[in-house]
Amino acid sequence: MRSKGVSAFVACVAAWIVPGGGHYYLGKRKRGLVFFLVVLTTFFLGILNDGRSYLVDREQPLSYLGTFANIALGPLELVSRQLTFGKLAYALPADPNDAEGVRLLAAMRRKVMSVTNEYGTTFILAAGLMNILLILDAYDIAIGRKA
Amino acid sequence: MIRSHFLNMVIFSGLVSVFFAFLTQSDRRERLKVMTILCLSMIVLSLIVAYAMYFFPSSR
Repeated sequence: MRSKGVSAFVACVAAWIVPGGGHYYLGKRKRGLVFFLVVLTTFFLGILNDGRSYLVDREQPLSYLGTFANIALGPLELVSRQLTFGKLAYALPADPNDAEGVRLLAAMRRKVMSVTNEYGTTFILAAGLMNILLILDAYDIAIGRKA
Repeated sequence: MIRSHFLNMVIFSGLVSVFFAFLTQSDRRERLKVMTILCLSMIVLSLIVAYAMYFFPSSR
């Protein structure tokens, strides 16, 4: 049974752009606000703890998953990417001697040197993963699979 | 910057517990129950695993 007067597509996009936005759009305002606060707090604790964003590295398949989890956070993710690399880079160049690749790796290493980097990166990844669940939950509510 | 391992773990467990309690439950009492069980399980299990790892020799 499909929920009346709502679009599943709009709910998913709203959930991606603003954590909890999908629930807010679907009329679950209190839950939406709680999700917004929880995801935002998790993300900013990650930033505070010197967390870093992932880059796609063709030689490391798991880096695709890390980058995907980062992007799932929506526009907020741009903040951590800018803070990590000084620009909005998403992949390492294929050539290991490429000047841009060397600069990106150096920027990443500067973050990794911080003692709290592991915690920060985990917080940022967790915020992205939470947002994936929120997008799926908003979809389920929009199509009437969940109340 | 939060340098305490334990504090980071407690904050992380708390946030994840609140998230899953609101995601999976709609009743207030049930949410509180899920939140408490999740948060305590994560903290206690992490401490047990951390203590168990103490007996593993270092690779260095």
